[in-house]
Amino acid sequence: MEKLEKNGRRADVRQFGMEFATVVGLIVLILVFTVLKPKFLDVDNIFNLLRQASINGLLALGMTFVVLTGGIDLSVGSIVGAAGIFAALTAQNHQLPWIVPVLVGLGIGLVLGSVNGVVVSLLKVPAFIATLGMLSIARGITYLATDAQPVPGLSDSFLVIGGGNVGVVPIPVLILIAGIVLCYFLLYRLKYGRYVFGVGGNENAARISGINVKYIIWSVYMLSGVLAGLAGVVLTSRVSSGLAQAGQSYELDAIASVVIGGTSLAGGRGRLWGTVVGVLIIAVLNNGLDMLAVSSYWQLIIKGTVIVVAVIVDSLNNNE
Amino acid sequence: MKKMRRWVALCMAAALVSSVTACSSGTSASSGGAASATASAAPASAAAGGAAGGKKLVVGMTLYSLKNEFTVRLSNAAKKEAAKLGNVDLKIYDGNYDPNTQLNQVETMISDGVNAVILNPQDAKACAACVDKAAAANIPVIGVNTRVDSDKLTSYVGSQDVYGGELEMQAIADKIGGKGNIVVLDGPLGQSAQLERSEGIRNVLKKYPNIKILAEKTANWSRSEGMSVMENWLQSFDKVDAIVGENDEMALGALQACKGKNLKIPVIGIDGITDGLNAVENGDMIATIFQDAAAQGSKALDVAVAKAKGEKVEKNYWIDFEKVTKDNVAEYKKRAQ
Repeated sequence: MEKLEKNGRRADVRQFGMEFATVVGLIVLILVFTVLKPKFLDVDNIFNLLRQASINGLLALGMTFVVLTGGIDLSVGSIVGAAGIFAALTAQNHQLPWIVPVLVGLGIGLVLGSVNGVVVSLLKVPAFIATLGMLSIARGITYLATDAQPVPGLSDSFLVIGGGNVGVVPIPVLILIAGIVLCYFLLYRLKYGRYVFGVGGNENAARISGINVKYIIWSVYMLSGVLAGLAGVVLTSRVSSGLAQAGQSYELDAIASVVIGGTSLAGGRGRLWGTVVGVLIIAVLNNGLDMLAVSSYWQLIIKGTVIVVAVIVDSLNNNE
Repeated sequence: MKKMRRWVALCMAAALVSSVTACSSGTSASSGGAASATASAAPASAAAGGAAGGKKLVVGMTLYSLKNEFTVRLSNAAKKEAAKLGNVDLKIYDGNYDPNTQLNQVETMISDGVNAVILNPQDAKACAACVDKAAAANIPVIGVNTRVDSDKLTSYVGSQDVYGGELEMQAIADKIGGKGNIVVLDGPLGQSAQLERSEGIRNVLKKYPNIKILAEKTANWSRSEGMSVMENWLQSFDKVDAIVGENDEMALGALQACKGKNLKIPVIGIDGITDGLNAVENGDMIATIFQDAAAQGSKALDVAVAKAKGEKVEKNYWIDFEKVTKDNVAEYKKRAQ
């Protein structure tokens, strides 16, 4: 028990250094883009940015939990697609209230995430392989469900989720905020969060101290799946059509956000709001570079460089 | 507790910083509450200013991809035309085959205060959201090359895909003497070009009851996908009499697959990209249906600028498909620069 405490505190100082760097990085980025393009800080652009960040944000929240246990979830993009398609198929029935397709989407995410969890925790398949397999399987299910045809004609009440506002705030942004609040409570307000950190920091020590490691590992993949399902619902509602190829490669930005935010891929170290900063950095990069009309080819190079630099900083912190 | 305090403090700081800077950015008319209402006022007045002369017009163009020859030709033509006209600032975005990304880009364009949007959509239905957003901000949307399902579209510049499909199917039907087994490679399902070219192919097939489609599958406009699909078909079917590719890239992929098995099967595509024209020249493809990307791109820009200046524009501008065979391929190779 004592060893766990000491590790936690040392990690705290290291983490603080890392997060500070990322927040400074975010502010610098915002300043640079604003100087180059004052319109960047217009209220409607800020809301655009936040709305655009909402889908990746939900994925990154789930990814944080998974990475904290030392795992990775490569399947979130495909789960977005699968959940989105089944939500769309449900939403084609205009008699059903919007909550039904939403629950369907969440349900698909829950099921697929749980499968990941079982394969990783019980069958002991390495997370990289297990979720890589699910990436393919979920995408295949999505194409099968619709024969690769899009699923249009969704009910109006469902479309409000992605396209509507509450006052001036877009609903996807509210959903993201709700997700952040939920994850904050899970990670910092319940014993569950300590267990997640414990399993990631030292799995054996965690098991010895009585934590049900298998259950914790299974649960984080399930959570990642549910959040990916929610992201799928929001995405489908936003483009008002279920697309079989939706969410393709979205896992990359999610992982990037988590890593940039300071959560170590080794597990056991990290902060939720580090992920939020990481999500904002990715969103600011995407939006800002678009605002400056930087060629998409350069955008790919810039984004990749930022991610690699973040990982280097992370590993430097690790080795101190 | 300490964590909570740090968390709250940072959120408040962020909120403060953003509100202060948002209020102090004096250029745009938008502020706090009525964001969308004032955002629509801004581009409208900018457009009026453009008509008054001197002020630069800003046009945003999002293409479903910038990673294939045809769409690159489209965007280059638009760029060239913008440079020719002079006072037009053209911004080009790569939609990455993702309608959500295109929607993000259109939203960014609207914040940016563009005077017109040129949309080359990935999906006919999903990209309707892009048109809705721009229309709500009173910004004209010009569709180019591929359709979008929206009646709020200002104008469309493209080629008649149904006719293109008919042209290529007819060429194949003539080549195989009106009977045989064929395979068809489709574009991305749901994109208007795929829907309409398939319709054209079926229109012609009605006349030929002795031509059977053995298999039809999407290869998403991709050469490598076309090659894999064709390899599998060559394995499973004893005899394929002809290959109909809804675009050159996929047809060329199928061609590679045939070469791999030392088979010579009549192939046809659409677009007239460089490799396609070369294949027609050396007899690998029986023909291709040339789609004038350059004309589409520059016309789309012209229409966008005209509408932004407040001029009246037509609902549709059609640019013909042209059949390219060995006889006339040399002329097309010169044009497609």
